[in-house]
Amino acid sequence: MAKKATLMREYAKGLWDENPVLISLLGLCPTLAVTNSAINGIAMGLATTFVVVSSSVIISSIRKVIPHQVRIASYIVVIATFVTVADRFLAAFTPEISKALGPYVPLIVVNCLILGRQEAFSSKNSPGRSFLDALGMGTGFLLVLFVLGAIRELLGSGSILNFTILGDWFMPWMVMILPPGAFLTLGLLIGLSNWINERRAEA
Amino acid sequence: MNTSAKMILVLTLITMISGGVLSSWDGYTAPKIEQYRLEQLRQAVGDVLPAHEDYEKVEADGMTFYVGKEGAATVGIAFLAIGNGFQGEIRMMVGMRPDFSEITGLSVLEQVETPGLGTKIVTDPSNKENPDWFTDQFKGLVPQPKIEALKNQAPQNDNEIQAITGATISSKAVVDILNSAIEQARKKYNSTKEQVS
Amino acid sequence: MTDEEKKQQEETGEPPSSDGKSDDKQTSDSKTGTKKKARARKKKKAKKKKPDPRSKLFQLDRQPFILAPSPHQYTEDSVPKIMWSVVGAVAPAAIMAVYYFGMPAVWMILACIGAALGTEALINRIKGEGYTIGDGSAAITGLLLALTLPPSFPVSGGIIGSVFAIAIGKQIFGGLGANIFNPALLGRAFLQASFPVAMTTWTAPNTAKFAGIDAVSAATPLGQFKFENIMTQYGDLLTGNIGGSLGETSAIAILIGGIYLLVKKYADWRIPVSFLGSVFILGGIFWLINPAQFPDPIFHLLSGGLMFGAFFMATDMVTSPITPKGAWIFGAGAGLILIIIRLYGGLPEGVMYSILLMNSVTPLINRYTRPEIFGEVRA
Repeated sequence: MAKKATLMREYAKGLWDENPVLISLLGLCPTLAVTNSAINGIAMGLATTFVVVSSSVIISSIRKVIPHQVRIASYIVVIATFVTVADRFLAAFTPEISKALGPYVPLIVVNCLILGRQEAFSSKNSPGRSFLDALGMGTGFLLVLFVLGAIRELLGSGSILNFTILGDWFMPWMVMILPPGAFLTLGLLIGLSNWINERRAEA
Repeated sequence: MNTSAKMILVLTLITMISGGVLSSWDGYTAPKIEQYRLEQLRQAVGDVLPAHEDYEKVEADGMTFYVGKEGAATVGIAFLAIGNGFQGEIRMMVGMRPDFSEITGLSVLEQVETPGLGTKIVTDPSNKENPDWFTDQFKGLVPQPKIEALKNQAPQNDNEIQAITGATISSKAVVDILNSAIEQARKKYNSTKEQVS
Repeated sequence: MTDEEKKQQEETGEPPSSDGKSDDKQTSDSKTGTKKKARARKKKKAKKKKPDPRSKLFQLDRQPFILAPSPHQYTEDSVPKIMWSVVGAVAPAAIMAVYYFGMPAVWMILACIGAALGTEALINRIKGEGYTIGDGSAAITGLLLALTLPPSFPVSGGIIGSVFAIAIGKQIFGGLGANIFNPALLGRAFLQASFPVAMTTWTAPNTAKFAGIDAVSAATPLGQFKFENIMTQYGDLLTGNIGGSLGETSAIAILIGGIYLLVKKYADWRIPVSFLGSVFILGGIFWLINPAQFPDPIFHLLSGGLMFGAFFMATDMVTSPITPKGAWIFGAGAGLILIIIRLYGGLPEGVMYSILLMNSVTPLINRYTRPEIFGEVRA
């Protein structure tokens, strides 16, 4: 690496400039599948953040011990451990959310966002930087999932986080809490972010 | 140390640590998960059976019955009815009189019907007075010769219910699942009784 | 070549191939080239304002000297002319809708057309590439969408559908000519998925009271057949005295407009013929197998949105195949899908999905039915 970025930058890049969903288009399966309400988006985002942060710190700490040939296997074992921890935690303490998220919590293990961060960042950087990087990526993921979930919940059920926003006059757009709504909303969000970036580049 | 030995050693170590962490974490969370599952079951059985002190589990020919007891008397039998809905599996808990003559209650445990339409088999937010009107219809229903779902008209007989407007398929699915489950349950439960006596 | 390019060409007298656009694309990818890009944009703007003085050199007498690929002949038909003719062709069905369903139909039609035009204008404004509301395509989208909605459907829902049809169905792909799916049908599909109950609640025609307050709920003939096994008289199906979407009930009104379109050659006659023909033949086969379970083919033709879809939706020039052979495949495929949905699907009607599904394979059909170039040797 030519030049070390500032620590703040390490965290902030995941929020927008290298946002895992909007820019890198990573981890789209949970993004599309569980965001039919804002609370589900938050739960998924938090679980993913927990997994990516913990595994980044661990892998970064032991990066010099892991032989190059078995690094992917090692990463996956570490990630799977934290995913199982998160899954059991949700099932034990928030059973309702665990039920709503269904198989997508165990499926965090195959979220390419997480393995991608280990391969691209944690295996080459110190634990401190890896922590910040993973936290930024996790926060960026969480933010997009929350926004996506909030938009879909607002239009699909007339509420956000179960608080009714739109009154009785509102006819819920059923399609928004169905799979097509996820694709439509995500597509428009990505389009919007591209548009903003283009505007910024021009200015 | 050569590379292969190092590879084996490191992977083994990581896996062992991971196993250790997971087993201790499981020991901590498993009782809570099990407790939640039992609570859910107790609640579902309580919902569908008439007032009872306790229930006991009876296995019969691969089917599980939850027999509600008031003292020594059997007040009702609850069992699971599982079948295909519009999009996926519907799991319901059904409560019946001990002689299978009348349904005492129905509760939908799991379903993946279309949100806002088929999900009305659980709760119907458009019906402010009684969001559970669909499942409530089954209380006191006599499944003889079998349950029928009517579209756009009020039920006349003891074996008829009204289907949900716009979710005819989900309503019919519930009725079909019930009809076959009640039929099976009656046969299986009665066969165990004969063996005992 | 689009109309706009043509116009530009006539103004400047040179083919529109090498303007600022190509430079633009190259630089837009690299982040460092932002300044260049801005400069290129400015250049482009300057070019538009002042025509190149050299262009006069290429002009002979009155005719501009054009270097361009074929086609070299143009018809007098233009996009606006065709589109407004389609509006005229749909008019009989719209009049029948108002006759049977009263003022709610009027409001629905006006609201949908207004919302479609408004959305088109708004997006034109954002894009800054000139207004296209005058070409009539947005109006026809709104009108067609309104006529495929149930009479009791709330007007606000119709507006949502029109906005979706124009914004997501058409403009996001790049405007008229670039859309994959028929915008009106896409709008309807969105409404069907969003408001499934309202989209399947029908009212009986109410000719007596023009106020339209006493709407009586009724099932469509297809719904009656599917769920209650009741047949409807052919006479009612022809005149449209049945439950159904606003404009789809009267087969005669649709036929008048449809035949006008075919005679004027604004619609490819092969598409409605193959669509209706395949429904008739396939429906007939099922009917011959078991007349008790399956409806007869004439009922298939006259009921539901088949006529409306076959004449006004499937024939959309943008989203249907351009080759004659492709048109036959398109219609036959839509008919097959329709019969499968009607007889074996969960819904009573499937015209919308059958046309949308065939829209999605139109590029493929075009590709495989490309006519041989004269003198080409087959490999």
